[in-house]
Amino acid sequence: MPLPWYYFLAITAINVLMSWALYLPYRVAHLHFLTVANMAISGYLSGWLVQVVHVPFGPALLIGFLTGGLVGWLVSLFIADAPTFTVVIVGFTFIYITRTVIENTKAVGSTMGMFGLPLVASSPGAHRWTLLAILYAVVLVVGFLIHRFEHSRLGRAASAVFVDKDLATSFGVDIRQLGRLLQVFSSTVAGGCGVLYGFIYRSFHLDFFTFHLVGLFMTIIFVGGYATMWGTLVAAPVLYGLTLLFPPAVASWRIVIYAAILIAVLVFKPEGFITRRLAYTVERLLSSKRKI
Amino acid sequence: MEVLLAQVINGLSLGSIYVLLVTGFNLLLLVAMIIHFAYPQVVVFSMYIAWVVLRYTGNSIPLAVLAALASSVAINVATAPLFQQVMKNREEVDINATMVMSMGIGMIITDVLSHGFNKGLPIAFPKELVGDVALFRLGLVSLLSGQVVSLAVGVLAVSGVFLLLYKTRPGRAFRAIAEDPAGARLVGIPILSTGLQSYALSGLLGGLIAVLLALMLGYASPGLGEQVAHKVLAVSIIAGLGNLPGGLVVGLGLGILEALVQGYISGSWSNAIAFVVLLVVILVKPRGLFGVKL
Repeated sequence: MPLPWYYFLAITAINVLMSWALYLPYRVAHLHFLTVANMAISGYLSGWLVQVVHVPFGPALLIGFLTGGLVGWLVSLFIADAPTFTVVIVGFTFIYITRTVIENTKAVGSTMGMFGLPLVASSPGAHRWTLLAILYAVVLVVGFLIHRFEHSRLGRAASAVFVDKDLATSFGVDIRQLGRLLQVFSSTVAGGCGVLYGFIYRSFHLDFFTFHLVGLFMTIIFVGGYATMWGTLVAAPVLYGLTLLFPPAVASWRIVIYAAILIAVLVFKPEGFITRRLAYTVERLLSSKRKI
Repeated sequence: MEVLLAQVINGLSLGSIYVLLVTGFNLLLLVAMIIHFAYPQVVVFSMYIAWVVLRYTGNSIPLAVLAALASSVAINVATAPLFQQVMKNREEVDINATMVMSMGIGMIITDVLSHGFNKGLPIAFPKELVGDVALFRLGLVSLLSGQVVSLAVGVLAVSGVFLLLYKTRPGRAFRAIAEDPAGARLVGIPILSTGLQSYALSGLLGGLIAVLLALMLGYASPGLGEQVAHKVLAVSIIAGLGNLPGGLVVGLGLGILEALVQGYISGSWSNAIAFVVLLVVILVKPRGLFGVKL
């Protein structure tokens, strides 16, 4: 497989997963940017385990997922039902703290980063196919789980919380438990993504985990449509692919392009391109065809 | 003891700038009902404009100050219709959407600064204009001109804003909207134009902060706005969103904390420690210390 295609497919999968990780807590109006810090924490930890302690990639990936979930759970003990802006600032603060700790930790390469991570398979080709297989398997599993969630009572409860927290509480929705569930799930996904992200490039560097990443994921969610999971699936490859097609001089302005698209969508298509109504219409059409 | 005293003085002048930032931020929150996350980025953009004007006018300070004030007001007022459209789309005040919109604006400002000015490198203000002249020195304790000016202007500006809010007619209109937008509309207060006035006023405050920051720091970088933005939002949350007196206390507190940490701990860790303290307070009191005024 040509390298550009490999990187496009792999990074698109990461973008889909991370945007879903951000989308899910947003179902209860939480912009949970802790996920980006989780990527860095789990990624560096697993990278160190593989490179220094010689732990095999599989267990290291599992540890990455678990670490993400653990950090998410610990933080959720405090902010599971906090207001949106509090969740936002906790996420940003964690990103700063994580970056400073990594910058000052020699064992993970401090500001230089970690380079030369081992292959996860016997050859570079097999390494790429293995990572793609893992990434898209994770996309399928996470996508399936989110789809089931959306069609469950919990999904309806989340919609109620998004619209009116007080009303949802009076209907018996446990906002704290629901917020915690979504935050832990999204942190777990982010932890795994951090490990896979590093192994795609076979290196870890602090520049991988910047606020630009937050901007990209946010743009994917709001442009695709924040009310359904399908918007992310459409917007992630389009937005990432679009900037790859630009000449380098234009592509270097990609953050401005993303932000301009984000603002335009918020103003002209507030629910994004794939609205809940559109998603339901398509789902109904598909299910009626199946019946025929 | 000398270090402690010197750092408290540093902290008070830094804190006065945080107080100004939080006051401008809270003004927009209370009256225009937006979380203008990119407000500090607007301030840093104005610093860059002042720097450009200084370069091309042979260090003309009045023109640079004017440019900083004008650019900050212009950006704030120019973005107002975007925020108002977002709120109209959602049919009710949606603070989360305005925050996302503001983050988008912040991303644009930061990226424009890192591409369009000084090849993305930090800018330095001319040495002779930076307020590092010691007006008073006793051992380690010194009082720099920049610190005195920023503290004095900070106190004056915050007092001015409070006077405006509590002793004037437009101030009453601002507070009425903050208290009850529907009630304010019923008694004939024009919500949109009063909101616009708050954008202009906080823009003016932003320009002033840009000048003071240039005076105190002597430099600016594209990432400065992002870092300050996170601190301002954190201070606002700890104080209680929209709580002006709370912002005053917590803003000064953060300034002193940062200065003390810088005085006693290695530079690379000092920022993180300030963030850890902010994080702990937010985690323990997610709705702030002094109560939300929204």
